Amino acid sequence: MIGTGLFCAATVRSETFLLTEATIHTVSGATISRGDVLIQDRKIKGVFDASQPTRAIYPNDTTKIDLKGQHLYPGIIALNTSLGLIEIGAVRATRDTTEVGEGYTPDVQSWTAINPDSELIPVARGNGVTHAQPVPQGNVVAGQSGLVALDGWTSEQMTIKKPVALHLYWPQMELDTRSKEEFQDKSKWKSLEDQAKERQKKLKAFDDYFQEARAYEKARSAAGKNGVADPELNPSWEAMRPFVRGELPLMIHADEIRQIKTAVFWAETNRYKMILAGGRDAWKVADLLATNKIPVVYDYVFGLPPRDTDAYDIQFKAPEILRKAGVTVAFSVGPGDASLLKNIPYDAAQSVAFGLPESEALKGMTLYPAQLAGVADHLGSIEAGKEATFFVADGDILDIRTNVKRMWIAGKEISLENRHTRLYEKYRNRPFPK
Amino acid sequence: MTTTDSPSNPGKRLLFFFLVSLLFSTSALAGVDLLPPGFRPLPLGVHALVGGKVVVRPGEVLESATVVIRDGLIQAVGKDVVAPPDARIWEMKGLTIYAGFMDPYLMLAATNAPVSTSKTEPIGLTSGIKFFGVPGQENDPGSRGPSSQISSLTPERRVAQTYSPDAKTLESLRELGFTTANVVPAKGILRGTGAFVALSDTEPNRAIIKPDVFQHIAFDSDDRKEGEYPESFMGVIAAVRQSFFDAQYYVLDHADYLKKPEGRKRPEFNPALAALTPAGEKKMRVAFEPGSVLMADRAVRVAGELNLDFVLVSNGQEWRRPDLAKGTGAAFIVPVNFPELPKLPDEEDWDQVSLDDFRAWDWAAENPALLRQQGLEMALTTYGLKEKKDFRKNLRLALDRGLSETDALAALTTVPAKLCGLEKQSGTVEAGKLANLTVVDGKGYFDPEAKVREVWIDGRNYHVQAVKEAEKESKKDETADKEKEAKVKAEKEKKDAELKELQKQRVAHSPLEGRGAIKIEPKTEPQVVLIQNATIWTCGPAGKIDRGDLFIRGNKIDIVGQIPGGYSGPLINGTGLHITPGLIDCHNHSMILGNVNEATIPSSAMVRIGDVINSETDNIYRQLAGGLTVANELHGSANPIGGQNQVIKLRDGASPEGLKFVDAPPGIKFALGENVKQSNWGDKNVTRFPQTRMGVPTFMANRFIAAQQYLKDLENKNGGVPPRRDLELEAIGEIIQGKRWIHCHSYRQDEILAFLRTMESFNVKVGTFQHVLEGYKVADEIAKHGAGGSTFSDWWAYKFEVYDAIPYNGSLMRDRGVLVSFNSDSSDLARRLYTESAKAVKYGGTTEEEALKFVTINPAKQLHIDSRVGSLEPGKDADFVIWSKSPLDSGTVCLQTWIDGKKYFDRTLDSQRTAALEKERGELMAKAKKIAKLAGGGGGGEGKSDGTFFRRSIEHLYDGKERHCLDEGGDR
Repeated sequence: MIGTGLFCAATVRSETFLLTEATIHTVSGATISRGDVLIQDRKIKGVFDASQPTRAIYPNDTTKIDLKGQHLYPGIIALNTSLGLIEIGAVRATRDTTEVGEGYTPDVQSWTAINPDSELIPVARGNGVTHAQPVPQGNVVAGQSGLVALDGWTSEQMTIKKPVALHLYWPQMELDTRSKEEFQDKSKWKSLEDQAKERQKKLKAFDDYFQEARAYEKARSAAGKNGVADPELNPSWEAMRPFVRGELPLMIHADEIRQIKTAVFWAETNRYKMILAGGRDAWKVADLLATNKIPVVYDYVFGLPPRDTDAYDIQFKAPEILRKAGVTVAFSVGPGDASLLKNIPYDAAQSVAFGLPESEALKGMTLYPAQLAGVADHLGSIEAGKEATFFVADGDILDIRTNVKRMWIAGKEISLENRHTRLYEKYRNRPFPK
Repeated sequence: MTTTDSPSNPGKRLLFFFLVSLLFSTSALAGVDLLPPGFRPLPLGVHALVGGKVVVRPGEVLESATVVIRDGLIQAVGKDVVAPPDARIWEMKGLTIYAGFMDPYLMLAATNAPVSTSKTEPIGLTSGIKFFGVPGQENDPGSRGPSSQISSLTPERRVAQTYSPDAKTLESLRELGFTTANVVPAKGILRGTGAFVALSDTEPNRAIIKPDVFQHIAFDSDDRKEGEYPESFMGVIAAVRQSFFDAQYYVLDHADYLKKPEGRKRPEFNPALAALTPAGEKKMRVAFEPGSVLMADRAVRVAGELNLDFVLVSNGQEWRRPDLAKGTGAAFIVPVNFPELPKLPDEEDWDQVSLDDFRAWDWAAENPALLRQQGLEMALTTYGLKEKKDFRKNLRLALDRGLSETDALAALTTVPAKLCGLEKQSGTVEAGKLANLTVVDGKGYFDPEAKVREVWIDGRNYHVQAVKEAEKESKKDETADKEKEAKVKAEKEKKDAELKELQKQRVAHSPLEGRGAIKIEPKTEPQVVLIQNATIWTCGPAGKIDRGDLFIRGNKIDIVGQIPGGYSGPLINGTGLHITPGLIDCHNHSMILGNVNEATIPSSAMVRIGDVINSETDNIYRQLAGGLTVANELHGSANPIGGQNQVIKLRDGASPEGLKFVDAPPGIKFALGENVKQSNWGDKNVTRFPQTRMGVPTFMANRFIAAQQYLKDLENKNGGVPPRRDLELEAIGEIIQGKRWIHCHSYRQDEILAFLRTMESFNVKVGTFQHVLEGYKVADEIAKHGAGGSTFSDWWAYKFEVYDAIPYNGSLMRDRGVLVSFNSDSSDLARRLYTESAKAVKYGGTTEEEALKFVTINPAKQLHIDSRVGSLEPGKDADFVIWSKSPLDSGTVCLQTWIDGKKYFDRTLDSQRTAALEKERGELMAKAKKIAKLAGGGGGGEGKSDGTFFRRSIEHLYDGKERHCLDEGGDR
């Protein structure tokens, strides 16, 4: 059923309001089975457990919203997605996900191409997603991502952080073992030896690029002092500066074991901040990732096991294997298909069915992605001082049968109406035949 | 040498003359052999091979015997045979003489690899059958001149007409001891006939011993014009079937015309069909090259349907399913092109070698022995070897792995002679046979070190010029330190011995191991099982039973509810657990071998998914682990009229036939919208009719009217030739007759209505709409017609026609009386239909029990198998799943999956299963690395990276990969 929250005009707006009697999944702390949350000036003023003596103090005219029997969760933050950059996969005109080039376009910025009126955005909101990280896809160094709130009149208003990360798509490490006969275009076939050489070359070229970016950064830093002139301005190198300084993370997209290993080794050697995205085989090197404190944005829960010796449930179990080893795991559905972003909780839920503690699954959709995106100071959990961004559900968000009823982003209630609910309402009201 | 003709035995001589005249007198060119001056004169034809060890036939050896050859034939063989005085004497002491070896499958064009088991390219267009806008529309399609319309059907091609050997090839084969061979045609599906030839340096007219030995059929879906019909395995089989039916009709039609040409339509001239007739009438044997063991199984079934006499060419992987190989009962022609370890650049590259790659490598040499163990006849061939000279080395590997030397010799002599119908002339060393002999040094042919000294072909000696490497080496090293040389030699010998020892031992397990039904303890007859005290979602009239028992007897459900006490059989405590019927997926492509689409032509009603069920894919186990027990294997959606579907049960370990749900009524895939009008196929594909949604019903109506006319023709029994059997119209005719259900891929409401009305105009009731993502907009109309709706739970926006798809679709259609199911159309999603059904609860408020029916009884009804499966009711098949929690709870886990009262998945055994596979792979990798090291390859390699090692078997090509998109030959 569709809750009333969907259809109330998004006008419940008050400087101060109190959510009462909700089960509060603070995520950062213990879950409060019955409690109140006081919101003031778009921020959470306080979180109160009804079983504790402390009560909220608020003005008399404060709006109270009764959430008895309902669950309150911090907004879901969907990392590594193409939301806003794509509308309909098969229609080229609606795809803005992937640039072309020789593989070095760090000055491409995802937040410049977000379509605020994408029909996919309200559908994602409909299941609790409040923030998303649209990422540029492509070759090697594809560009920078920002973090957008799924509310705002313009793409600028939506963008709450830029850049969040630089996106590297790790070169293919697997050999193409097909024989020449299997190639339609025989000229494309390469021997294993040649492929191995090429593989080395690509890694070298990629590493060189970063060394050159560092040299540029050094020259830029030195400029102006002791009469050193500025180097010729280069937008590509310019874009690389905060990343080679190690201030902002590199999100390295890699699935295959050797890609992951070489990426970790490279990032560690150069002291770059690395986040692994994709991470199909990450479970195989859980310890390596833990030792190097590399978090994983895992989007392969529902991928098929790639090897014929893999357990059928290995990708379901992977988040728990990683967590046990000490790796931070955030959930993602990947940049391939933004239309089903709403299903993020079910990736997490499947991992719970196969061993991951529920609290970790929740963190993996809220607090951990907030940390990885560098916004955990004001997003990702329900605690005093953070932004009033949360949603109300009629049950456990990790259960498919649950529905999201209301949502606030930065203190403003957001309509949960979307293309799906509109069409639903329209056609369920089609007169029955006589 | 004497030139005087003074026979020692006049009687024999006479007989000999009789034989010779019989053989050669018909040749217009036979006669006086004296060449005009200037030519090198021909040698005389009388020889005595004296003192050799003669292997008369496999298992029969004469030590120190004499073989007398006269004018191309063996005149006498025996220990007591005296060399005729006119014979040239050949001293054979220390040599072994075999009947000349025969290769029954010699392909001469250098470019021809074995039938590809690799992925065929997806989507494209085609020919053969007159559809507008597909290749083959020219007036003369297929080959130039009168021929089949389909270029890969060339049964009229005869090697006997084109045979023109090159001396080098002949020499290389003689070096291996071969004296004769069946030269086979190399291209296409119906390839034509081969010719059995002597590998002698003589003109083709004399070299050919027997033309048209076999008609060759290869299930080759590659190697043709892009987009030309047929490109899928099922299309290949359909084309073969249709061709034989056409040939039958062709004969009758022409006979009728000959009898009474006046007043009747003139039949077409078609050399392809005429050439197929001898095979169709069992006057010529067919040689199938199926390319995989599953397709071999299929070849045998097709041969049965068409009443063909046949042999099979092995693809070297019968070890995957020895039971299927055995079941063929056929003789196999067996190549020895064993995969060789690749030279891997880095140590870590070994990681990407799959267990299946290793297995294929480790099993290869044992495959010939394995075929013999199944009691099958076997002939060996050099076919498939990149380097023919590896034949003996690889044959030795096969012997080391259990093939007996007697069987190997038979496989080179008596068996190929028999298969090729030449057992009277060849195959043994006996008087009267062709003087084809293979003479080997030392320990005999099966010692690869022993040189083939010479061969005799039609009584002529061919000395084999083998370079004596050992001699060369010793000459070079004459001055070198003898001691060092001995040491190097000893080391090499040690290495070789070690290598041999390693190669002898198989490490790989059978892929059938650990599959199939899991043992139940204690065993009873019939097997009974009781699950006690569980929550039972019956999906039947009994609804949900909160604490109930499920009692299974044999393959059926006996009692659902409470069973009386006193039971002492196998017991499962179901406390806290949930039981549901086995899940049913109404739309699945995961168990299809090769392409999911015969995408080439707009109507491919003649192709059958049932011909290409893949019983070996890992998908079966993975989907069982998600509670799936029944799947509707559907053709893709690349054309308005697709192929015939096949419903299967996931009885892992069973053969393709064993997977089939025998009682499921036949169906067929139809499709509408963007896929069939090729909207997303790129700018090249804009010529095939239809290109719009308007054209789709036009096309459908056209084929249905054609089928109506076909049915009428069949009924007209006014004498004369019965109509040509048309497999396309036959299938569409069955729809009209109500014997075949349509499952129609659809999205937009307008196309759904247009399709309904078109079908209604033919009085056809549609089985299901598949996907039907705008079904909610026309649910009343669908319900009124009575079609089912099998939809995705929540997919949308991946293409324009699904922009209006909503997750409420299932609930909305159900609310208005449509029978609704949720399907997967994906190898991943098929593993978790249970959580998919929960989305009907979330979106639109369908109750939990009703939602579960979306993946149980409702799809069973849609497939018309609900009297057997889909709910837990007494008398139904014992297909059920045990869950840790409610099946709709996102935290639930499938614990056990049962089919027909047998347990096929048990989660508690899974870690063992995985560990065993990992261990096996580890052992295989260790063996491979050792061998690579001993053989002295760099980072890897026994030898060349020729690609054979990584040739992924067709059975596992799509494992670990999604199969749903159109461009992968899927369907979404």
